[in-house]
Amino acid sequence: MTRVPFSFTRARLIGQNTLLEASRQKLFSFLLLLALSLVAGAQGFRDFNFGAPELKFLADLGYGAMAFFGAALTVAATAQLFFSEIENRTALTLLAKPVWRAEFILGKYLGIAAVAAVFCVLLTGLLAAVLWAREGSLLTEFPEAFPHGRTLHFADLVAAGYVQWLKLAVLAAFTLLVASFSQTQLYTVVTGFFVLVICHLQYLAQDASARGDSVFARAVAGAIGLLFPNFQLFNLAENVGAGVAVPWDRVAHVSVYALGYVVAAGALAVYSFRKREI
Amino acid sequence: MSAGPSGTPAIELRGLVKDFAVGLRGVKLRAVDHLSLRVEPGQVYGLLGPNGSGKSTTIKIILGLLEPTAGECAVFGVPGGRVEARLAVGYLPESPYFYRHLTGRELVQFYARICGLSGARVPARVAEVIGWVGLTEAADRRIGTYSKGMLQRIGLAQALVHDPRLVILDEPTAGVDPVGAAAISALILNLKAQGKTVLITSHLLAQIEDICDRVAILDRGQLILEGAVRELVGVADRQALVVEPLSPVQLGELRVWLAARGRTLEAVETPRARLDRIFLDHVGRTAPAKREGGP
Repeated sequence: MTRVPFSFTRARLIGQNTLLEASRQKLFSFLLLLALSLVAGAQGFRDFNFGAPELKFLADLGYGAMAFFGAALTVAATAQLFFSEIENRTALTLLAKPVWRAEFILGKYLGIAAVAAVFCVLLTGLLAAVLWAREGSLLTEFPEAFPHGRTLHFADLVAAGYVQWLKLAVLAAFTLLVASFSQTQLYTVVTGFFVLVICHLQYLAQDASARGDSVFARAVAGAIGLLFPNFQLFNLAENVGAGVAVPWDRVAHVSVYALGYVVAAGALAVYSFRKREI
Repeated sequence: MSAGPSGTPAIELRGLVKDFAVGLRGVKLRAVDHLSLRVEPGQVYGLLGPNGSGKSTTIKIILGLLEPTAGECAVFGVPGGRVEARLAVGYLPESPYFYRHLTGRELVQFYARICGLSGARVPARVAEVIGWVGLTEAADRRIGTYSKGMLQRIGLAQALVHDPRLVILDEPTAGVDPVGAAAISALILNLKAQGKTVLITSHLLAQIEDICDRVAILDRGQLILEGAVRELVGVADRQALVVEPLSPVQLGELRVWLAARGRTLEAVETPRARLDRIFLDHVGRTAPAKREGGP
């Protein structure tokens, strides 16, 4: 019997097809255009800076748009691209080929992670251009405020964009895990957004776990703190806007942290999808 | 592509059972009920039955898309649930939906690469199978613009692109006009001539009768009849003679002649041409598989 080993080539082909499908969908283009418009027009919101330095405000707004629209895009795209395979029965044809279900899940994940990467690269690039242009004009107008020249480090901008992408990659893995056992797209989207909220508030669970009065409350809070990643760790925008160098050891730590959650959620998704009836 | 030693059946089902849990209480619905079948290599095998008789469920079990509740399934000797079993199988699903964002050529290329074809072989092979199904001119159009018949044909192309030994066609003529149905029949007969095994389900019983070597009829998941088509449709103790028209006097003489030999003339009928043949003759088209060279 000819053995069929796990193939990264097949997973890559499925991922490429998923990326192509996403790129030809209106939702992806709409969210991307909305986020790009917000970043491009960020200077129009300067009056809402609440006293923060202008460059910091622009960076916060840019990364905020990346986080908000990126999360919406990731959850919606993951649910849509997964369920389009199930509901349109294209999964039937694909999985009737010599394809492992793990390759299917990995391929879908790679495609969605690539969609998030395209989104983050475009927004980071645009944000860098907006910040560079505005810093240049401020340098001309107020040279005394910049005694050492430009304060923004573009490597830090890229690092912050990369960490935003890591966050979206973790969110995509959790949403894919939900999709792997969910029967409806709506349930997946709603649960995906719940996961997003829980991950943003995970630090509260960690605090409660440390300070809780009852053993039960500490156990529940501790379980939430362990099961869900802390998305507060993925926020480097403050460093960028304030001209403070991004700590690279933190970037490395967050990368490993994100990879751990992606692998765990991905493995569970494969396990859950293993015997799903198509 | 190959799987399993030669001489083993293309498909073997033994005591196959599939139950689905229905509703919140998990009431079991038996879709396939102790089904045993054997499809030999090189046969065109028809799986017949009314809607809900378990045909598609059986096919999904063969393809490893569903796990049987009980029983065994093997494809060329390889257990049906294994990925290896699908190496030798090409599958056209019922009412196929494909990636609408791809062109026909991109779709077949995608599946060719998924099945392990690589390099310079891919474009040539893809062009070849697209030619077999008569879609060369529409190959670079988006799938989203295809008619139902064209979807069936591109589905056939993706099922054949990796040169499988077993081709499973689930309702390949559903929604296809008589010309398209005839083309698909011609393609299936070409596959048979190549030594491929074909498992087909269809509600067009005339088509099944024309192309299948054996058929199995399912009802409520159970096998109720199985055998060679010729044996099943032939009336063993009767013969029909086709002659030029006889006058009433000649008919009377024939009756007397037969009676002298202990035989009775039971019916005198005018032979009827089949409506699909008349349609094809008058529409005057040839099957795409014939037009562009077959598999």
